[in-house]
Amino acid sequence: MADIKKVVLERDLNPYHSFFASFFAGLGELGMLNQGSINIVAKRAADYLYAYLDAKDILPDLDAVPGDTEAEVVKNLILYINKILSMVGEYDLQEAGDNTVVLLIAGNTCRICPKGVGGAEVKGTLCPIPSLLEALINKIAQKDMLELITAGIEKEGPTCKAYFKVIN
Amino acid sequence: MVPTISAQLDAILNKFERNVPHVQATAVVSTDGLVIASRLPNDVEEDRIGAMGAAILSISSRSGDELDRGEMTRVLVEGKNGYILIRSIGEFAILVALVEKDVRLGMLFYECKKCIEELIEIL
Repeated sequence: MADIKKVVLERDLNPYHSFFASFFAGLGELGMLNQGSINIVAKRAADYLYAYLDAKDILPDLDAVPGDTEAEVVKNLILYINKILSMVGEYDLQEAGDNTVVLLIAGNTCRICPKGVGGAEVKGTLCPIPSLLEALINKIAQKDMLELITAGIEKEGPTCKAYFKVIN
Repeated sequence: MVPTISAQLDAILNKFERNVPHVQATAVVSTDGLVIASRLPNDVEEDRIGAMGAAILSISSRSGDELDRGEMTRVLVEGKNGYILIRSIGEFAILVALVEKDVRLGMLFYECKKCIEELIEIL
């Protein structure tokens, strides 16, 4: 088992982070959950989150989201979603040319990683963030605004990366 | 010109389907549940086949380990209308085949083994 105390304190976890990450980790270790199924259920979760935001009357007005380009609007929507869900500590969204953007997450600041936080001992990834962002942003925008290009998340050293196409 | 990996995978799946009457659809999926190549009907959701196929194989494999059944060779799901056959392709991929009820299982397993051997060479 990983050094849980270190992870809890360094990543500033709340109890839901611990529950979510360890629960998904357990399902992953049993073989019941893989990146493909996470991509599917993340879309379902996005529908419920959208309904939650609507019920709480805290859905952002897309016209009021700051940004001169679609990519900047997406960046601010991610900022808004992350503020609500508190998924990651350090991240950035950079333009990668040809209407694509790349989400860069400092892996050791992610609060919902089934592997890094939940201790899942599995091959491959179990990351819900890219597919959740894609589905929730498209739901908020009420159109296809973002398309996940990578199948999930790609690990590159300490950084987790996901590429998206921004649809104008 | 050397065919792309996608084209090579598609050719192998196509050959498998031609060699075994009643094979309706096939997919090569990563153990992460992500589709690498597929020959599926339009009404079948590729993402779901990938995710579920990988999960079924993974759970079956773990069950086999837990219950001391040895290394798993294949998973065959039997339904009223046909079968789902799932096999590992090496360490990182799996083959999923949707098959009609009237198939000769011996032929299916034999051709599936040959298909897997060819897929392993590419992957």
